[in-house]
Amino acid sequence: MGLLEKIESLLGGRKKDFNILVIGLDNSGKSTILNNLKTKDTKVATINPTVGFNQEKINFQSVNFNFFDMSGQSRYRSLWEHYYKESNAIIFVIDSSDRMRFVVSNEELADVVNHAEIKNKDIPLLILANKKDVKGAASENEIKNELEINRIKGRNCKVYSTNGLSGEGINEALEWLASEMKNLA
Amino acid sequence: MLGKKDSKKDDESGGSNPFKNLEKASVLQETRTFNETPINAKKCCLILTKILYMINQGEHLAPTEATQAFFAMTKLFQCKDVMLRRMLYLCIKEMANIANDVIIVTSSLTKDMTGKEDIYRGPAIRALCRITDNTMLQSIERYMKQAIVDKSRSVSSAALVSSLHLMKQGPEVVKRWVNEVSEAVNSDNVMVQYHALGLLYQIKKNDKLAITKLVSKFSKSSLRSPYAYCFLIRVAAHQLEEEKDGFDKTLFDFIESCLRHKSDMVIYEAASAIVSLKCTTSKELVSAVGVLQLLCSSPKPSLRYAAVKTLNKISITHPAAVTACNIDLENLITDQNRSIATLAITTLLKTGNESGVDRLMKQIASFMSEISDEFKIVVVDAIQSLCLKFPRKHNVMMSFLASMLREDGGFEYKKAIVNTIIAIIEENPEAKESGLSHLCEFIEDCDFLPLATRVLHLLGREGPRTTTPAKYIRYIYNRVILESAEVRAAAVSALAKFGASSDDLLPSILVLLNRSKLDEDDEVRDRATFFYDILSQNDKALSSAYILNTLNVSPVSLERALLQYNQSVTEKPFDIKVVPTIEVTESHKPSAETSLPKTVKPTDKPAASRQDLYSEQLSAIPEFAHLGPLFKSSAPVDLTEPETEYSVKCVKHTFTNYIVFQFDCLNTLNDQLLEKVVVKMDTADGYEIISYKTCPKLPYNTPGVAYTLVKIPEDPSQVVATFGCNLKFVVKDCDPNTGEPDNEEGYQDEYGLENVEVTVSDHVQKVLKPNFGASWEEVGAENELEDTYALSMPSLEEAIKNIIQFMGLQPCERTERPPEGKNTHVLLMAGIYRGGHDVLVRAKLAYNDGGVAMQLTIRSSDSIVPQVIAQAVG
Ligand SMILES: Nc1nc2c(ncn2[C@@H]2O[C@H](COP(=O)(O)OP(=O)(O)OP(=O)(O)O)[C@@H](O)[C@H]2O)c(=O)[nH]1
Ligand SMILES: [Mg+2]
Repeated sequence: MGLLEKIESLLGGRKKDFNILVIGLDNSGKSTILNNLKTKDTKVATINPTVGFNQEKINFQSVNFNFFDMSGQSRYRSLWEHYYKESNAIIFVIDSSDRMRFVVSNEELADVVNHAEIKNKDIPLLILANKKDVKGAASENEIKNELEINRIKGRNCKVYSTNGLSGEGINEALEWLASEMKNLA
Repeated sequence: MLGKKDSKKDDESGGSNPFKNLEKASVLQETRTFNETPINAKKCCLILTKILYMINQGEHLAPTEATQAFFAMTKLFQCKDVMLRRMLYLCIKEMANIANDVIIVTSSLTKDMTGKEDIYRGPAIRALCRITDNTMLQSIERYMKQAIVDKSRSVSSAALVSSLHLMKQGPEVVKRWVNEVSEAVNSDNVMVQYHALGLLYQIKKNDKLAITKLVSKFSKSSLRSPYAYCFLIRVAAHQLEEEKDGFDKTLFDFIESCLRHKSDMVIYEAASAIVSLKCTTSKELVSAVGVLQLLCSSPKPSLRYAAVKTLNKISITHPAAVTACNIDLENLITDQNRSIATLAITTLLKTGNESGVDRLMKQIASFMSEISDEFKIVVVDAIQSLCLKFPRKHNVMMSFLASMLREDGGFEYKKAIVNTIIAIIEENPEAKESGLSHLCEFIEDCDFLPLATRVLHLLGREGPRTTTPAKYIRYIYNRVILESAEVRAAAVSALAKFGASSDDLLPSILVLLNRSKLDEDDEVRDRATFFYDILSQNDKALSSAYILNTLNVSPVSLERALLQYNQSVTEKPFDIKVVPTIEVTESHKPSAETSLPKTVKPTDKPAASRQDLYSEQLSAIPEFAHLGPLFKSSAPVDLTEPETEYSVKCVKHTFTNYIVFQFDCLNTLNDQLLEKVVVKMDTADGYEIISYKTCPKLPYNTPGVAYTLVKIPEDPSQVVATFGCNLKFVVKDCDPNTGEPDNEEGYQDEYGLENVEVTVSDHVQKVLKPNFGASWEEVGAENELEDTYALSMPSLEEAIKNIIQFMGLQPCERTERPPEGKNTHVLLMAGIYRGGHDVLVRAKLAYNDGGVAMQLTIRSSDSIVPQVIAQAVG
């Protein structure tokens, strides 16, 4: 524990970490987006498909985010639910250029919000329509339709278009999430 | 007494261990703490420690419990605390095989292994390799290759050693890393070099030529690491042992040259390899022993220990070479380190002459109380081999053993002593009476049930045949009064044997047994009642069958047969004859090697015998399910020359009316795939071929099995036969690398095999009759056959060996070893003939004028069997 943290904890109110579960199909860009948020010296040069999950601690506008970057490959999707219970928010990433698998994304998202651990839990859902730079990528509205966002009731839910590589749109989206977290605390 | 012991134990272990009263449920509950933020590293470390402790205490975690705890643990990756992270790695490794979906931490671990913190990298690699299964191996391949050649030695070593473990599950993938591994062998670090060489060897192990090249390459390039040198020596020595014909001079020269290496470790390794090699000549031995001799006077205890241990090991095989070190060994007798002293003395005992025995035994006695049980066992073993060598010294040895028996010691130690005394008794009739009385004294105060029951069994067998059987009865009966149920039961059985053997003792034995009929324990009471009733009949045949010579079935088979009987609906009584008789295993011979403390303890449970395994395999094949119980399985016979294209071994399985030939086939051509492999047989000896069971596929280097089923002729006297054998199959040429056939069409081919012989011995199973005389009377002379033969054998020993082999019967009463210097001998043998008939053979042998005359008497419960057995000689 660093000195500052120590003082903080002595003063009795160390800032809370928020657990954010980052899910979505494989290759949608989850790890890339998180990598973009990191500082220069913690960024990695190449990103490989995630196996299992990865843990990333990122401080964004003085909110401590603790991201659980899950693997999106089909055989690992069943492992997401192990992390539902302690999550304070969910980020669902969808590749807006991968039209073939919009239905799959739709089903997976439905499974998540209807899951017993999530259903009655009032936690925000942030949907990132990633890869907006790719030619022929679906628009924000199209994604809203495809994912049938209107079905999601009783929770704060927002869709942002992003580019994981350049970082475009990510700040805005995270700002929303940060304010949601502050309200929560 | 018992209560006292318990409370003492409590005093010793109580209080100090904070984890003593851990409860699984509450520890699992505590793992919820892992989900809290921020993480309290100290608290979490303690919980992880508890989990580790619990698992290592053998606590069983159900998969769901373990998985839940495991996923909670994964949350700890967010904490940067070094201690916690390393505990986490340990826990991941422990739970890798208990929890499900452990691959969830793969990315987290790869991040750590490629990260900047060197302190995480090695442990992360080790944990990663534990959770990785074969299907996942490829996804970490890239990281592993990098790690192997990493410049940090701890990372490189961790990757190399983990790869070595991975070889067990995914050799193919690991083999692809051979370039990286070869690079690591050139490392400057001694450990990395050693680990890399070890892995390189594992990768190339199956390719003899490559290994020879590997040894010659590195023996020239002078490795830095003495560990690597030692390893290379072991590889070279192994290679030399493997070579059947001719031997590679360069390999040997390499080992020899290591005797002059600058590191003690390497010098010792080389010397130890040379003295253990079979191909070593006496000249080469001298320089190696010379090195060991020098090490004997090294100031370092570890080197002295290694040297004397090695000398001890070879003292039986190379006594002359070891005697050359006598002076050095003498100096070690008084070594401060008692382990060294013990080894030195036992070595001298084994190589010395009879006159020195007393002096050395005195020396040992002076510090027996100071050495640990393991080394006491070394001494006991030495005494045993000494007794074989100098039978006349048995008095000294026996009293020494007796005094050891009286002192405190653990089970293994006491067992070694009892075994040795029994071995001496069996070898040397003169030692019998004194040995038995020492053992009697021992069981008067013996805490070890298995030893007490073993001794009682021995007393029951040997006691009645001593000059004064009556004196043992008191010792045995004392057990009946004083001991626990197991021992009482054994004592009752032993008493019954005295009653069955002696008419004089019978009345008093009946009185004693009658008392035990009221014993509180079921088993004891049952035995007493059973024996009492049999003995009251006063029928010699009955006593022989049920008291002196008992069942010879394998417990595992008996259990299976009874289970089958219980499951079937039948009015018929259970027939004990359907249970295969137990194979008589070779009696334990004291090995030349002094057994040093072993890590693996032999289990005393009744193990399934080779035949039990065969029986299970065969009954699982539908075609053979109706054949009835397996009567006997022969040892495998080679039907091919060594190192030919195909290798075929035959095992003959005899059933009551059938024989199943099992052909274990191996295809040694890597460019061929064999299909529909079958061994065609033909014979003119009345056997009928019923069916063949083919081996569908026989790829390169993967064993396959084909079977042939034949019916034994109805004529009971027709038993021996010769079968011509031909291996038939379809060949498909294939790519040596992938094993994939080049095209789907193959061609038919065949390959001639050696003949298979069915002999008389395939129809009999060996049975040891502990009391042959009683069985002989029990079977009686009704079907007796007697004949005289002249055998052209150069000696009695030779004749005995051949008779046993041809008839396939079990020699009894130790008659297979004729006393030295005598020209006549009686050989007694027993067995069971196919179908369950007892066979007993008495062969009176006389040697004169370069030949052996034999008067053969055969008794059996069946009238035909004696003729069949006699065929074996004719
Ligand atoms: N063009 C474009 N490519 C992107 C964008 N975001 C990510 N990618 C690429 O998409 C690929 C997949 O990205 P990842 O971050 O590994 O995807 P993931 O969701 O973490 O995938 P899993 O870990 O397998 O679940 C990578 O090659 C990225 O470079 C984007 O906004 N635009
Ligand atoms: Mg990813």
